[in-house]
Amino acid sequence: MSLMPFAPSRPLSIGVELELQLLGCNDYNLAPSAPEILRRVAKRTHPGEIKPEMTRSMIEINTSVQQEYAGLVTELRALRDVVSDAGRFLNVAVAGGGTHPFQHWSEQKISDAPRFHYLSELYGYLAKQFTIFGQHVHLGCPGPDEALHLMHMLSRYIPHFIALSASSPFVQGHDTGFASARLNSVFSFPLSGRAPFVLRWNDFEKFFAKMAGTGVIESMKDFYWDIRPKPEFGTIEVRVCDTPLTVEIAAAIACYIQAMSRYIMVEQRMAPEEDDYLVYTFNRFQACRFGLEGVFIDPRTHQQRSIREDIMEMLEHVSDHARELRAVEAMERIREILIVGNGTSWQRRAYASEHNLADVMQLQAELWMGN
Amino acid sequence: MTWSDYLPAWPLQISPALWLALTLVVAVLLGEALVRHLRLPRIVGYIGIGAILGPGGLGFIPQLPVDEWRLVVDLALGILLFELGSKVNLRWLKANPWLAGTSLLEATTTFAVIFSVLVWLDVTSTAAAVVATIAIATSPAIIVRTVTESRAQGQVTDRLLLMTALNTIYAVIFHKLAVAVMHGQAGTSFVHTIFPPLYLLGGSALLAWLFGITFERIHHHLGQHEETFSFILFGMIAFATIMASTLRLSPILVLLAAGLITRYQRKHTRTFPPHFGSAGAVLVVMMFIANGLAADLRGLRDGFLLVLLLIVVRIIAKLLAVLPLATHSGIGWRQAISLGIALVPMSSVALLLTMDTAIDFPEFAFGLGMVLMSWIVILELAGPVLVQVALRRAGETPEKKT
Repeated sequence: MSLMPFAPSRPLSIGVELELQLLGCNDYNLAPSAPEILRRVAKRTHPGEIKPEMTRSMIEINTSVQQEYAGLVTELRALRDVVSDAGRFLNVAVAGGGTHPFQHWSEQKISDAPRFHYLSELYGYLAKQFTIFGQHVHLGCPGPDEALHLMHMLSRYIPHFIALSASSPFVQGHDTGFASARLNSVFSFPLSGRAPFVLRWNDFEKFFAKMAGTGVIESMKDFYWDIRPKPEFGTIEVRVCDTPLTVEIAAAIACYIQAMSRYIMVEQRMAPEEDDYLVYTFNRFQACRFGLEGVFIDPRTHQQRSIREDIMEMLEHVSDHARELRAVEAMERIREILIVGNGTSWQRRAYASEHNLADVMQLQAELWMGN
Repeated sequence: MTWSDYLPAWPLQISPALWLALTLVVAVLLGEALVRHLRLPRIVGYIGIGAILGPGGLGFIPQLPVDEWRLVVDLALGILLFELGSKVNLRWLKANPWLAGTSLLEATTTFAVIFSVLVWLDVTSTAAAVVATIAIATSPAIIVRTVTESRAQGQVTDRLLLMTALNTIYAVIFHKLAVAVMHGQAGTSFVHTIFPPLYLLGGSALLAWLFGITFERIHHHLGQHEETFSFILFGMIAFATIMASTLRLSPILVLLAAGLITRYQRKHTRTFPPHFGSAGAVLVVMMFIANGLAADLRGLRDGFLLVLLLIVVRIIAKLLAVLPLATHSGIGWRQAISLGIALVPMSSVALLLTMDTAIDFPEFAFGLGMVLMSWIVILELAGPVLVQVALRRAGETPEKKT
């Protein structure tokens, strides 16, 4: 199977995918209720898409292609409300957050679809371990080479996206000490990590053909990269974010990526270098482990600072672009996260006051559903 | 000093309790064997061994003294009913009115069908009504125990728990009303016909409500230490159960309502160990053994076909009655069929209601009472298997045994 041609898309258009947790209302453990929720939402008209995910206690909401923050947040709220209403009707709570704090992976049930059964066969327990909840952001690119350029330039800022969205400190009943423990589950997949340093689309096609020739992969879907091109949509897809605790934060982070992309394409105009990736895994680890407090090393200047400071500086750079994109409110929300903290700090505060992870999950569901 | 001062007198004076203790060991071993080899629920072993060794079977164990037996059953049932209540979210009925519809339709159909069959067989309409109210009940004991043991979760499980709680409430209330009518016909004065159900319902509701507030207060002050709280809860359940019997209220209603009220009022999630700790779990196992010991299949001798007819008709009624509103309430046909099947078990609640009626009306005890007893024994043994199969077919039990 060869790579699809890179479809045209409107530059800087955005689309958001969010994986959500479905919870039982008694113990706030994950509940395998996706089939009923999907059947219920199928009867209602709603924008975007609502889809099954790997295990039956997950569900995914996708927006349609959006241009700016206002439209994006409106659509995400509509999707959230449709799913929440279905949840109330079925005694199921819905929540954001990158991991479920105390679910047992072995109790998860694989969704009934050929692809999920195939993945479950292939990856074994990793598939069930993959009961983690992420936010994916699609960005429209003017062309395939521009897409690769943007992908490599955005890679430098991966720690920003991880730290801002981080909301998965608890795994299997314990505080892992990580801001985003979710990404540790992604790293166990053989094809995770970053895309190869290839700047022209025909070179990328050659790479893909070679990989497909080895039999390791069949489609782009088999790469679990942090950012990957999605030729059929004409986008690149940023996949490192945890699902935040509210749709508003999800929309804000998407627009932060959008504004940054405009800055990269319109103002920065630097060429990516292979050596930019020397610090990549270090920076990424720092973001996963320490969140906004993590150390960030600039690949070009080798200067060290906190991720929070680097985001602060980026907000200055992108402010004009954000105004052009009508995303000023989104940038305000990002600034707010820098002050009050990300989802992980909210979850740790909730645990400190409740002493019980089920209670944290209940509050998290109330925060998401808005009741 | 003689031999008899320090050696036991021969033959040994063995108390029934010793046999019961031994039965506990054997029953638990048998239960384990059933799970390992036949993948059947453990309760079948507990009830089965009681029935086989008890007075109704091989007679190794004499009939237990009624008072002690009743205390074990009341306490264990109290624990299971409170557990059931605390797992049922009444707010769900508001969010999904089709559930209330399904429950009412199912209970009404069961009542109507059993009542009609009995009246058609020339049973008096009041006696038919008493039996039909008992037939509404789905065993909370079997449902809670099987759901806990199979670690089931999902829509069918949630609905099963909700409908079991509601069925228990309908059964107790309408049974009291039917018995009141029976008393009225037996010539009891109007005041004494009307007052008992009112006292029972009002008093039980009040006691449950007091339990609810006390529980909330204690939980508030005690905080999160799960084990300590389980001990206190265990004591409170025992207290409420015995208090309800002392005041001649319905322990069934009190404990179930108390569970529902605490769940309704709660601000925080609570997780308790199953049956509130090992003491509770042992009581629950003892209850099932005791139920087996009390198994009385004499009704089958004269009424085999009647029992069979009633069982089949009741299964069909419950199954068909959950189907019409299934898709409106958000589940598919397969799930609805599983739900209907899982609603079939009868056990302690039906047993206690039957015995309460039999105490007041001896002629009932030797007629329909016997039929009911056999009916209950059969559904006690088959019930856990049906629930397990239904939940497995609905895909709500863990995929592999761990």
